[in-house]
Amino acid sequence: MTWARRTFPDVSVTEPSGADAVPPGHPEVSALIPIVRRVVGSRVTDRTVADDLVQETLVRVLAAEGRVEAGMLESYAIATARNVVASMWRLQDRARRNQHRVVDLRPPPTPDEDLLAREEQTAVVRAMARLSQRERELLLAHEVSGRDTRTLADESGSSAGAVAAQLNRTRARLRVEYLLAVEGAEPPTDRCRPVLLALSSGDRRRQREVDADRHVVECELCARLSNPLLERGQPRDDVVRIPIRTDADIVAARRAAREMAARQGFSSTDLTVVATAVSEIARNIVRFANAGVLVIELLERPHAGVRMVAMDNGPGIPDVERALADGYSTYDGLGLGLPGARRLMDEFAVASEAGRGTTVTMTKWRRGGRP
Amino acid sequence: MNQDPALVSIMRQGPYLIASIHTALDDSQMVRFQHDLVDKIGRHRSRGVIIDVAALDVLDSFGSKTLRNIAEMARLRGAQTVVVGIQPDVALAMVLLGMGTVQVETALDLEEGLAYLDDAVAPRAAVDARDGRP
Ligand SMILES: [Zn+2]
Repeated sequence: MTWARRTFPDVSVTEPSGADAVPPGHPEVSALIPIVRRVVGSRVTDRTVADDLVQETLVRVLAAEGRVEAGMLESYAIATARNVVASMWRLQDRARRNQHRVVDLRPPPTPDEDLLAREEQTAVVRAMARLSQRERELLLAHEVSGRDTRTLADESGSSAGAVAAQLNRTRARLRVEYLLAVEGAEPPTDRCRPVLLALSSGDRRRQREVDADRHVVECELCARLSNPLLERGQPRDDVVRIPIRTDADIVAARRAAREMAARQGFSSTDLTVVATAVSEIARNIVRFANAGVLVIELLERPHAGVRMVAMDNGPGIPDVERALADGYSTYDGLGLGLPGARRLMDEFAVASEAGRGTTVTMTKWRRGGRP
Repeated sequence: MNQDPALVSIMRQGPYLIASIHTALDDSQMVRFQHDLVDKIGRHRSRGVIIDVAALDVLDSFGSKTLRNIAEMARLRGAQTVVVGIQPDVALAMVLLGMGTVQVETALDLEEGLAYLDDAVAPRAAVDARDGRP
């Protein structure tokens, strides 16, 4: 890489510069980041550029916080600062190489890269702006200045637990606002932000309260944003979500269900039983709805089991009783496969609303007592 | 369009076709398999068809229905069908699901499937099959 061979004057920026480098509305940002500033300052002479890079680094660190182990945040911040500087050098280098081409009809080698970098920066600034002053201060004091929750709690007269919870909520919000800013979209419904927040924080109880899974099936924007949110914020692996749209998704769904049930110690027969039921239910979604999702959740109480919730945005089943009746499975319409799937499961419930969709909840318990 | 050879194979052995499913198929792959197989039955004037489903993790309502369709279309073209290699777990799930296998002949494995066809189709064809004549 070109930048590695260059030498840069070692200029230490010991004092934070004024608010000139920081976007309006963020006066506290530049004051809180001595270590990042040192790393950037030792590589970049231009103070304005350095300030921009410091801020970009900071927000990247905040956005990635969920993935970084506690205690590793400082090294992560340093590495991120180096990367941010390096990618700026690459951009500058390309700009310089292209300068002499007065007329260049060829498309640039990577036409979107500069644009993407700029867009990301803007998104970051906009996401930060959505946080309250207090949220920003708390986050930065903890993540960047390294003050622990106990100290912060003492300062604000609250408890360490409350501060930690507040930090988690703020991180979750930052991720949501960042993704919304990247999309350049205002959420179409009032439910979107609460749902996205619940997904981002990985709070399963809250997700149920706001009926997050159902909303994601119905809302295109939230469906799109839910993937990065779930990937990032979910250390837990006792819940998986399989989007269902195509034939291939049916195979993926039954495979996932089989794997989850295997982790619960199901017999090989029951693994096949679970996979077969999922296949039937997932097919219903593909045939009769535009989109749906299968949420597979491990249960431990009263003993080991698997719960599978299939939701779709289809037309709904007008007569659930009839669809569940035996013999109805030969009918090639809505609710196809329900009676069969019900016979395979220990618990089975269908809720359907015309024009809104269908939710099938089914549970299988592991046979033979506790592990 | 031909079936991806990695998913299924259809081999001709004398008057018989031996179709093996090598991996879990989704519905559209299953339908393509049905078309390919029925097409080959007609082209080779096959007398018997063996479908090896040992690699299938699941035989749900759609999979079972497709196998029944194949058997029915084969019958209309003068060929007997036998499904072999249904895993015991898969068979049990099929029974619970209510998709009785009764409408399609089944056998434990390829060898038994061949034996069944030899009994079921005309003795002449069976002899040809063993001698490798079409
Ligand atoms: Zn939404």
